[in-house]
Amino acid sequence: MAYPYRHDRETTTILSRHMGEPEARGLKGWLERGGYEGLGKALEMEPAEITEAVKESGLRGRGGAGFPTGIKWSFMPAEPRGPHYLCANADESEPGAFKDREIMRWTPHLLIEGCLIAARAIRAEHVYIYVRGEFFPVIRVLDEAVEEAYEAGYLGERVMGSGWSCDLTVHVGAGAYIAGEETGLMSSLMGGRAEPWMKPPFPAQRGVFDAPTTVNNVETLASVPGIIVNGPSWFRQWGSEKSTGTKLWCCSGHLTKPGNYELELGVPLHEIVHDVCGGPPGGRKVRAVIPGGSSTAFLTGDELDCVTTYEGLLEAGSSLGTASPIVMDESTCLLAAMRRIAQFYAHESCGQCVQCREGTAWIAKILQRIEQGEGALEDLETLYDLCEQLTGRTICVLADSVVFPLRSSLDKFRDEYEAHILRNSCTAT
Amino acid sequence: MAEGNELISLTIDGIQISVEPGTFVIDAAERAGALVPRYCYHPGIPTRPAQCRVCLVEIEDQPKLQPSCTMTVQEGMVVRTDSEAAQAARQSVIELLLVNHPLDCPICDAAGQCMLQDYALETRQLKSRLNEAKLVQGRDRISDDILYFADRCIICTRCVRFMREVAEDDVLVVVQRGHRSVIDTFPGRDLDHPFQGNIVDVCPVGALVHEDFLFKARFWDMDQAASICPGCSTGCNIAIDVKENQIVRSKPRHNPDVNSYWMCDHGRRHLVMSNRGERIEAPLLRRDGKLVPTGWAEAFAWVAERLREASGGTAVVSPAAANESLFYFRRLLDRLSSSGGIYQLSTGEEATLAGFPKLRLRAERAPNATGAELFGFVRAAELPKTAGQGTVAVLEEPLADHPEDWASDASFFLFLGTRLSPAARNADAVFPTTSFAEMDGSFTNHEGRVQRFHQALQPPGLARPAWLVLARLIAELDRLGTEASAIATPTEAEAAFQAMADGTPEMAGLNWSAIGLKGGLVATTTERATVEAT
Amino acid sequence: MSRRLHPSVAGAQPFQLADRDPDAPLFETEEDLDRVEAILSRYPTKRAALLPLLSFAHELHGWISTDDMEKIAGVLELTPAYVWSVASFYTMYNKRPCGRHLIQVCTNISCFLNGATDVLESFLEHTGTREGETSEDGLFTVIEAECLGACGFATAVQINDEYQENVTPGKVPQILAELGKDTGS
Repeated sequence: MAYPYRHDRETTTILSRHMGEPEARGLKGWLERGGYEGLGKALEMEPAEITEAVKESGLRGRGGAGFPTGIKWSFMPAEPRGPHYLCANADESEPGAFKDREIMRWTPHLLIEGCLIAARAIRAEHVYIYVRGEFFPVIRVLDEAVEEAYEAGYLGERVMGSGWSCDLTVHVGAGAYIAGEETGLMSSLMGGRAEPWMKPPFPAQRGVFDAPTTVNNVETLASVPGIIVNGPSWFRQWGSEKSTGTKLWCCSGHLTKPGNYELELGVPLHEIVHDVCGGPPGGRKVRAVIPGGSSTAFLTGDELDCVTTYEGLLEAGSSLGTASPIVMDESTCLLAAMRRIAQFYAHESCGQCVQCREGTAWIAKILQRIEQGEGALEDLETLYDLCEQLTGRTICVLADSVVFPLRSSLDKFRDEYEAHILRNSCTAT
Repeated sequence: MAEGNELISLTIDGIQISVEPGTFVIDAAERAGALVPRYCYHPGIPTRPAQCRVCLVEIEDQPKLQPSCTMTVQEGMVVRTDSEAAQAARQSVIELLLVNHPLDCPICDAAGQCMLQDYALETRQLKSRLNEAKLVQGRDRISDDILYFADRCIICTRCVRFMREVAEDDVLVVVQRGHRSVIDTFPGRDLDHPFQGNIVDVCPVGALVHEDFLFKARFWDMDQAASICPGCSTGCNIAIDVKENQIVRSKPRHNPDVNSYWMCDHGRRHLVMSNRGERIEAPLLRRDGKLVPTGWAEAFAWVAERLREASGGTAVVSPAAANESLFYFRRLLDRLSSSGGIYQLSTGEEATLAGFPKLRLRAERAPNATGAELFGFVRAAELPKTAGQGTVAVLEEPLADHPEDWASDASFFLFLGTRLSPAARNADAVFPTTSFAEMDGSFTNHEGRVQRFHQALQPPGLARPAWLVLARLIAELDRLGTEASAIATPTEAEAAFQAMADGTPEMAGLNWSAIGLKGGLVATTTERATVEAT
Repeated sequence: MSRRLHPSVAGAQPFQLADRDPDAPLFETEEDLDRVEAILSRYPTKRAALLPLLSFAHELHGWISTDDMEKIAGVLELTPAYVWSVASFYTMYNKRPCGRHLIQVCTNISCFLNGATDVLESFLEHTGTREGETSEDGLFTVIEAECLGACGFATAVQINDEYQENVTPGKVPQILAELGKDTGS
């Protein structure tokens, strides 16, 4: 199968332009494609200028929370008193998301370049790329690129002949969703269980190895070189005022053409689902979409008119998350789907906070019991109440993450739950 | 308080208080009279992971509830520990903990002093909506006498952090994750640390229990007394748990100047052993070569009669005797114009609690050698193999390893103690005294801290505190003689203490009620004795 | 591994391999010691090298034994219990030996919607095992996995260090047959 599926918005392929081109993986091929131009330019800029440019571009974090990247960088101390660190979050593990692995396996140098520019901006001299362990094929590609970059002087002493040195280390995880949470990632990177910690201290105050740290998602970092080369306004030509630039959309579930598509922010969701991805196979109707990865709220098939900006999806009652729509057609038992999602969160809870440790597992068990035909209507009240109990009370947002899909599925697909509870049947067709 | 540290004023549940900067909200709330529930937070363990989430409180202008254990006070902060949202969150934690916590309270050692039981009642979380089977994870032995009931564990990690941060021996850990998390040691390596028993004390539920105590007593069937551990010269503050007049366990009692919240395992085990052995229950007088039981009045008269002309001789005391007893024993020796006196001290290996180095199982395995020194007794490497032919007086030294004919040729041999060893059987008079657990009194620890202990047990038969017995004997001698010793004959420990403090220059200024449960320091050569303000 | 790895990637190698030797000495050859040294040089603390060293041991042995944990604890000046606590947190570290081919079938939501449950069933049926069990010939261990990050290519299956994507139950016999040819030396 060809990668990726091409669609007609050719003009917006910024991150994905060279995906599918094996030559782009190597340094030579990458340089031929304009590689490290952004770094060269950044090396002539003051760190604050780089941050300013990224701020102006409106780039927001692509890892799920959507925090403005330039502002995040500006939290780092301007006068380093010791080492600063940049962590590239390549622990892509949100169910539905598979974009960072594509960036890394097709264009690893784009990530390396983005890391270097970001490191320069935050005055870091060591970058850790924390890659999820399962991505072995990706790791091979990334490793090779890093070795090449060292050899060619893009990494290490005196980057590109400048007076600035920067190291980069690839660090591999070993199977833990919560290592994708920024403090969890840092706990893991320091050789611990990937247990998130209470903020404050914020990473920019005290992060990995007790030093000021910035954690950025792979796609965020990969967006940076283009901004530096072409300027902030170039990036702003796409998207809306608050959601600028392009975004990789990871489309999965019941789709004729699932895959990664780079689109400018703001395309209507129904266009992504139907026009870009061809809708569900066999002409079946869309019953539900989780637009931003499994941690975001369900939309029904009738709610796809919303625009896919950070603000547009919030307005629609969900969120952009990792821009990973999971499409479920009318053959889907939404109770079973929700149960599967809940089991994931129960499996991935680190176990520190009581609400998350006990609550996620309890939710999964209740859903399983309903699915087995042993539910009662009171269970729905209990589930609603657990949504309340798991919201906003824990160290990190893993517990909240199960609440978004759960509460919305209870609200929007109550018929499904009731069918199972009252008639031991299912509304899937 | 250090200068320049302005107090921070804040409002907690409508009560305005001022506290030092850096105070955590949970501690400030306690001072304002609101005891916020807590599991992971323990004041003696440095880190505060804020993971149990039961101490969440509402803070004005904060969108989310905040863990009061990690939130420091800010000027003008308005805290509500009892708001609807805070109460709901607290109740939720209890409900969720009960998802997998078994309701085996009827067979759980922690029942009655379980923080899950307590908070369930407090939050009215009494009805369960749970329809699911609870996880069954079994029980493990994690040391020679500590059992871990995984089902009951609420993963507060106090035990893990005690070992890691206070014992500084990172051998107890959380393994697995999520709702499968359990506490464990490395496979095949049990805990083996001289202070590990504290993990049982910090466990807020019944997940960690001493096998020695397993199924032995219900909390509500026990009485408690504040005491001092007699296991070494550190003088850890402890509480003795008593059931049916037997010591069933001892637990540390907080004293920031001595043992913080901790004690060593040697101390724990030592005390339960004291239930062993047969006790002397009545005064015994030698008549026709045999020791014959009698009453106290006759015993005093009989002994006083025989001591009135005595002088010189041998005196031996125990470094485990109370200050008051040692004081009155010294007075008795003065009355007999006898000087000197020795004690023997057994020693053992030392062990220090790394995270609170002031707490050490000290080599001197007796609680009151400092007291013995203070009253003029001198440490002897060995007690004399023979006692000589003069008067012999022994205070609570058990003479356990002495030859059977020890002091058999003494002109008169008075023995005060709790048990009769073969050597002690040579006494002409035996006065049964109480163990420290059966009386009120005080010890002076290695650094000169005079600390009170209180009666936990009823003494057997006619056994009485040595100071009481000695004071009565001195009074009897006074009655028979021409001179009076001008020493009080107290009937209460407080009065005995006062007599001792008045009659001992180093203790001038110390007073029973002022030293309270924290103790007071005896004076060195230049200063007065001190009682720290509490 | 004959090539000398750059320190930047010395700790970042695939560690679920078909070829492995559970009895191979750990951190004893000069080459292995060099690699340990290279890994340690990348972190300001020894503890941070824990995952890389666990992964290294896993790469050699195919699982993490208590001996491995004790050895790593020694190198990093940690307690074995601490190492056990960390190792047990991460699902990719096998705590017991598995078959030559570890087959991890993603059954998370996107794969679930596309028939992953049937794919898992099919693997179990054709290997004649139950989940987590190793087939009698020692070739296969099949387990259910959480999201493998290949949701657009459902059902995603990770076999040792490679991905098989768009797997359907019908493709399972052929996949197993191909793997069956690779029985090692």
